[in-house]
Amino acid sequence: MPRLVINGLEARYGSLKVLDGIDLDVASGDVVGLIGPSGSGKSTILRTLVGLTPPAAGSVEIDGEHIDYAKPGDVRRLRDRLAIVFQQYNLFQNMTVLQNVMIAPTKIKKRAAAEVREEAVRLLAKVGLADKLDRYPDELSGGQQQRVAIARALALRPEILLLDEVTAALDPELVSEVLDTIRVLAREGMTMLIVSHEMGFIREVSKEVVFMDAGRVVERGTPAKIFDAPEEARTRDFVSKILRH
Amino acid sequence: MLDYTFQFGQIVPYLPRLLDGAVVALELAVLSFCGGLLLGTVGAALLTFAGGVVRRIIGWYVSFFTNTPQLVQIYFLYFALPDMGIVLSSFTAVLLGMTLNAGAYLTEIQRAGFESRRQSEMEAAEVLGFSRVQQIRYVILPHVARVLFPPLSNHFILMTLGTSMAAVFGVEELTGQALNINSVTFRSLEIFSVTALLYIAVTLVASALLAVIGTTVFRARMRMF
Repeated sequence: MPRLVINGLEARYGSLKVLDGIDLDVASGDVVGLIGPSGSGKSTILRTLVGLTPPAAGSVEIDGEHIDYAKPGDVRRLRDRLAIVFQQYNLFQNMTVLQNVMIAPTKIKKRAAAEVREEAVRLLAKVGLADKLDRYPDELSGGQQQRVAIARALALRPEILLLDEVTAALDPELVSEVLDTIRVLAREGMTMLIVSHEMGFIREVSKEVVFMDAGRVVERGTPAKIFDAPEEARTRDFVSKILRH
Repeated sequence: MLDYTFQFGQIVPYLPRLLDGAVVALELAVLSFCGGLLLGTVGAALLTFAGGVVRRIIGWYVSFFTNTPQLVQIYFLYFALPDMGIVLSSFTAVLLGMTLNAGAYLTEIQRAGFESRRQSEMEAAEVLGFSRVQQIRYVILPHVARVLFPPLSNHFILMTLGTSMAAVFGVEELTGQALNINSVTFRSLEIFSVTALLYIAVTLVASALLAVIGTTVFRARMRMF
């Protein structure tokens, strides 16, 4: 049974309709890649899912539970299950790496510090930052900061991880270290919805690829179908432009 | 030429009283600054996040206290409140007046810090499940402490000097003690030059301490745990 089901989701910025009836589902353990031109609404889907942009219409269900974004209690429960990693990392600048990872579990979820610390250290080791625990974000490279952000998201033990162009702000030589981290998560069966312009990576890691344009889902299918034999003209156009450069 | 022989010897016996006065002045400054900081933090948070009515009330509070003389504010507390059945000791009246006054100024100062918060960090905190109060406590205040440490410590120094107005109400802080000693010895030049030096000493020490705290604790970031 699909874990995340989105039906007819709409979102607006003022009078501009940025999401125009999105239907999407992500099954447990699957990785779904969201691709499309800039401004097509990919990031808005993720922001709407975590409650940062209120939906104008449509429904979101997680494991059959309908989420009413107007209800703070629903949004709180939702955020226990969904985590998001942003393009710009958005780490807390006044906290060390370890504190960034520990703060939500200890101060918000009130879990025991010793236990959280152990888990945080393990997560940071997993993303390759065991030696940076006491550094501050501005002492790290972009790739390292992004890996801290991933560890911070995982520290809340989310069921679904949303990745919003997590390599778009990185220098090219730092991209692979972040992608490697995500590959590990995919292998472990983490359910993920990934927005990215790294087409090779999306193709490799996704079970399903969704192509979006102008706030709508244009086409979805296996990576092979979307990248090698797209049915829609707009998908063909986009894919050929991406692969040509 | 000045036809005056300084006789500092005569005021030496009174030095302990001046030092006692300096301690009272610092007490007033520290207590009212801490109270004002608390008021200012709540005020800035409400100005930034609360609804229109609450914002307007805070706005009135800030306007009133930053646009009337502090002396008049304390006069009101000390002489006018008893007419309403509230009698405050001179120390309490000055402390309360200075606290309310500081609260208004520190609201204004901190509001700038609240407004310069990093939206990206606020969003990260929000999706991690932080409530508004937790966002303020863990994200905004460390940022405010860091960027606003210099203007906040300047305000503390101003308040330390401002405690001298407590003398008007008979509080035996540094200036009050100086006035008392002057009325006994009439060595005004000696007394007030020593008093001035004591003020300078207090503010220099406070500035140095604040600078150390600012660079070690805040510039090098606040510790959260």
